[in-house]
Amino acid sequence: MKQIVIIDHELKELIPGFLANRQADIEIATNAVANKDYDTIRVTGHTLKGIGGGYGFDRITDFGAILELSGKLQDEVLAKHILAKLKQYLETIEIRYE
Amino acid sequence: MAILIIDDSSDSRLLIKSILVRRGFSDIMTAASAQEVYLLLEEEESKSKLSSIDLILMDVIMPDIDGIEACRYLKSNKYFQDIPIIMVTASTDIETLDRAFVAGAIDYIIKPVNQHELIARVNSALRIKRETDRRKAREAELVQVLEQLEAANRELKRLSSLDGLTGIANRRHFDEIYEIEWRRAVRKGYDLSIVFLDIDFFKLYNDTYGHQVGDECLKRVAGAVAAVLKRPGDSVARYGGEEFVVVLPDTGLEGAQQVAEQIRGAVEALGIPHRASKIAKHVTISVGLCCITPTVEDNPQELVKQADMALYEAKSSGRNCVKARLLASASNITPK
Repeated sequence: MKQIVIIDHELKELIPGFLANRQADIEIATNAVANKDYDTIRVTGHTLKGIGGGYGFDRITDFGAILELSGKLQDEVLAKHILAKLKQYLETIEIRYE
Repeated sequence: MAILIIDDSSDSRLLIKSILVRRGFSDIMTAASAQEVYLLLEEEESKSKLSSIDLILMDVIMPDIDGIEACRYLKSNKYFQDIPIIMVTASTDIETLDRAFVAGAIDYIIKPVNQHELIARVNSALRIKRETDRRKAREAELVQVLEQLEAANRELKRLSSLDGLTGIANRRHFDEIYEIEWRRAVRKGYDLSIVFLDIDFFKLYNDTYGHQVGDECLKRVAGAVAAVLKRPGDSVARYGGEEFVVVLPDTGLEGAQQVAEQIRGAVEALGIPHRASKIAKHVTISVGLCCITPTVEDNPQELVKQADMALYEAKSSGRNCVKARLLASASNITPK
């Protein structure tokens, strides 16, 4: 089911690059989980937490905060779970510019 | 106004820049790390551009050099010390924020960035920067005015010490010089000599040639006396009317007599015509001097008085001559 996200039209030009970088973040964090590199997981989560809401993607900020926590707690299960959620979210969003 | 964004996240840099540009801030610079800024500081061309920055927005969590360390470094650099730094961070723990303030940040913005909050804090920081710049400009102006005032005061003091006609020291300045030299002579155990000289028949000169010519005569006599004095410590002053006084520190009686005779001869050599003089066809002077090796028990006015009396003696002896006195310490007067 599509999730509609309302984004400031003035950021329209930046969105493709932003979303591409988020896919890259997912890949980095997924590799980090496989390597049990919790520091990278934490930092990636921190980045997502800091950037999502600024572009209008509050859910990305929320996911980022939980991913950061999973890195601090060295919780592999949590990290995998939240990365799956994030991946699904990015696949199901429908952006509307206003 | 110029704003520098330092953030390792390209998305952050783009977002913040986009918000600022939309709000009319057109001069935006970005850097992906603190190292990038440090490298720019090493280039002369970039230094002036960097020193024109009015505000820095700095991420805290960055690889290698974090924002707090970078803030501390920049604040210790002369190009950045007055530039406000706002930390932009997703970290909300008190310790991080505290460290940021200790490092020199003036404010912080929590990520994700809210554009209204960003603009409000940016405007606030720029207001502070403008006030700081205005204050510095006023201080620089004040310093300049103060320097000008001090220079003017020095010039005023110099002019107030000079005789307006002859350009040599005036009576007031002689009093100051004499007091200093007396004390030095007492302290060091040096000789001190005072020479008074007076233009002979000057009233008649003025009556004959007029006051304007009289003034010229005074100027030439003052010039001749000053020309004779060779040592930096020796000084001449206009004591009054047509009377001049010379202070000769560290000069004994014999030396003072030599100088006095040179002065008398120099004035005579000017050959200024003086048809009303009763002793010569040209301007002459009478000279009286006195010397002492003063101690704390001696009265400085006594030396002046004795030199004046020696001058009177010179006048009484036919003028155009030098008379000397040696003043022994504790008022033992020896005419010579």
